[in-house]
Amino acid sequence: MTELSENVISFENVKFSYSGSDGVYAVNGVNLEVGRGEFLSVIGHNGSGKSTLARLINGLLEADSGKITVFGMDVAEGKNSIEIRKRVGIVFQNPDNQMVASIVEDDVAFGPENLGVPRSEIGERIDWALRAVGMDEFRHSTPTRLSGGQKQRIAVAGVLAIKPEIIILDESTAMLDPKGRREVIEVVQKLNKEEGMTVILITHFMEEALLADRTIVMNRGEIVLSGTPEEIFENGDKLEAYNLCLPKITEIINSLNEAGMNLKNVLRPEELAEEISESFKSKGITSAESSPATFSENLCTGEWDIDIKNLTFTYSKKSPFATKALNGIDLHIAEGEFFGIIGHTGSGKSTLVQHLNALIKLPQAGKKFKKKKVKKGQPKPVLPSITVGRFNLADKKCDFRALRASVGMVFQYPEYQLFAESVFADVAFGFKNFNKLATAEEAEKAVRESIEIVGLDYNEVKDKSPFDLSGGQKRRVAIAGVIVTRPEILILDEPAAGLDPLGKKEIMELLHKLHREWCKTVIIVSHDMDEIAENCTRAAVLSGGGVVSCDSPSALFSERDKLLSLGLDVPLTSKLCDGLERSGITVRCDCTAADFAAKVKEIYGGRADA
Amino acid sequence: MLNDVTFGQYYPAKSFMHKSDPRIKLLALIAYIVALFLAKNFYGLAACALVLIFAVIFSRVPLGSVLRSVKAIIFLLVFTAVLNLFFHGGEHLLVHWGIIKIYREGIIFTVFFVLRLFFLVMGSALLTLTTTPVELTDGIESLLTPLKWVRFPVHELALIMSIALRFIPTLIDETNRIIAAQKARGADFESGNIFKRIKAIVPVLIPLLISAFRRAEELGDAMDARCYSATKNRTKYKKLRFGWRDLIIFLTFASLITGVVLFNIYAAEIFPQIYEYIKLS
Repeated sequence: MTELSENVISFENVKFSYSGSDGVYAVNGVNLEVGRGEFLSVIGHNGSGKSTLARLINGLLEADSGKITVFGMDVAEGKNSIEIRKRVGIVFQNPDNQMVASIVEDDVAFGPENLGVPRSEIGERIDWALRAVGMDEFRHSTPTRLSGGQKQRIAVAGVLAIKPEIIILDESTAMLDPKGRREVIEVVQKLNKEEGMTVILITHFMEEALLADRTIVMNRGEIVLSGTPEEIFENGDKLEAYNLCLPKITEIINSLNEAGMNLKNVLRPEELAEEISESFKSKGITSAESSPATFSENLCTGEWDIDIKNLTFTYSKKSPFATKALNGIDLHIAEGEFFGIIGHTGSGKSTLVQHLNALIKLPQAGKKFKKKKVKKGQPKPVLPSITVGRFNLADKKCDFRALRASVGMVFQYPEYQLFAESVFADVAFGFKNFNKLATAEEAEKAVRESIEIVGLDYNEVKDKSPFDLSGGQKRRVAIAGVIVTRPEILILDEPAAGLDPLGKKEIMELLHKLHREWCKTVIIVSHDMDEIAENCTRAAVLSGGGVVSCDSPSALFSERDKLLSLGLDVPLTSKLCDGLERSGITVRCDCTAADFAAKVKEIYGGRADA
Repeated sequence: MLNDVTFGQYYPAKSFMHKSDPRIKLLALIAYIVALFLAKNFYGLAACALVLIFAVIFSRVPLGSVLRSVKAIIFLLVFTAVLNLFFHGGEHLLVHWGIIKIYREGIIFTVFFVLRLFFLVMGSALLTLTTTPVELTDGIESLLTPLKWVRFPVHELALIMSIALRFIPTLIDETNRIIAAQKARGADFESGNIFKRIKAIVPVLIPLLISAFRRAEELGDAMDARCYSATKNRTKYKKLRFGWRDLIIFLTFASLITGVVLFNIYAAEIFPQIYEYIKLS
């Protein structure tokens, strides 16, 4: 580990409140010291004060009381602010909102330009910064055409070009897909190890927090826990009290330990697989096989099946920027499924789901469509076709309004689409659009029911402005606004994106409740493999506009190498199964953590009885 | 709704025109427009057309793309042409039909007028087809630099333009997403009278505005964190340089203006009979 002799940041009893927050402190009496070269991770639920902490360090916000010193300089003194910002760089959450220029190198140059660095040196700094984040080949590209992870690495390069000694990542990975997240985290780790840079990583992802030398946990503006990641995640009960979840791996360990397996609290899947097989060995189990995974049968009538054949779609056709988003998709989604669509950014997921409720119409259903004459001897062109239940989307006369009422679509970050003056009006918007003749009572009943099913108190929220709600509540309202028409099929694009771990868990529970009680089929688009593994009955992997495979999670995730080569990950449970397989133990689970634990216990307990 | 908005009309290619300095292209366009309006006869116009044809050839932009830019003003073109045709007086009456009188001079003037407008639009289109918006802003900033002496905030203006350019694609994406989301909730943007349509835009406009403000705030923080306004002596990484291409363009357009002026003076002496027939008024 790096020498932690010198403190570069110190907080002494710092308090801060936002104006208009009625004296509630966003940061409340924080004492913190960060050493040179340290890698510190900060976790905490939404609104726990993590981001405020970051902004206090470089003077974007000013503390109400207490003292913050950075490199021995008092942040409160105005004359220090530029010097501090030169030495402390922050990378923010949304990569789009940090870029000033339309060309990568111009954007990276922005910081040094501001500091009046001579031109020749700016060129060298751009070289160095882009190489450090592995983006040198994109120097002359346009950021808008890059993936989220690439954009965020440009943002990191833009900060590096200032040559800071401390880099703060304020939830910089929250909006990225797993590949993008890995890319950014690798860059940061490298900077920490090779350049000796001090890193403060603020994150919602427990797996990322584990990579640090030290982790602090924030709750309601206070630092409530501090220690090595291992120490932090031993305090399972405490974490839950602070509105955080245990990492999935710790949950599995706890569950296995209840069965008396006596496993050490490790944090990496390879280590846990090792631990489990050690524990088996001590019982004399060297090779074993669990019972096969069981799947609940789909008992639906198939009235609302979705059938997609040969779907191809090109954006900006006939222009020099034409891009093929979908390329010959064949997919069948049965009624009653909890279906997952996996793929990294740009794989065509969103384009695919927008076809399902005719937001993107099939060419035949368009106004200008003409049948091409087929020359003799040439094969007839195969037109794409989609049917959703009784709707034939290739038909010009298809009732698209009725289709949209039956196929609900929740977009990514749906809270950004809220617009009305009250929660009631916003939720009622969809209902009134689809039921023009409905009476006020009917509307109120529908709105009340949908607000209640998403877990909000109707009387408490109905007259509130949707913009006064918390992030998680806004998302619930947005979902209520879609399900208010009682759709048979509900499609959600990244339903849990950007939420803290507890928020994620709650949203997924909500979706299961909707699947049980309201909607026949639920389709989620996601890049979180654990989310897919935990929740879906079946999932399709999209890449380059085509379906690479489509199967149950357990079958899908058994092809680990294929997924990794596509830049996707596998869930924790299949990593564990792989690890155990190598020591001769075959666990056949349906990829949920609960089933994995049950199967391991079965092997362990079964032999214990014998 | 906004599906067909490819940002700007830049046509990516590697050509003589693409590689030349945006400043010289801007100046050349100004010179070209001046020449078009200086031209008092068809010889001058022909000189402009010749330069335009070479410019199009050396830009490697398909002629179709250049012509497409005229589509936007076709209505204006036809409208003014018809007005000119019917109401332009003259000596040689050709058609007399009710109150409509068409003179030879009227036809000649209309042709001249339409061609002038046509060349004007094509020339301007060629600039935007071969120059990225970013280069254009850089060019404008550089051309405006002398105004710094009168305390005109040139850099701030350029930064505003560059940020606006940077966020246009982002906001178009966002608009499309919001439109799709509201459509999925049954919003109807395509039917009803104008008031209904305006009302239908509210669910798109409000989220868009809120998001724009949120973005502005975050961008402000990010700029502050990257030491914006740290020093008055801000440097600029990119410097535009004149090259041989720019010299050629400069010479071409300088001779174009000279040519047009010379034609204005000596046109009558080149082919006196033809000139007499096609002269304007």
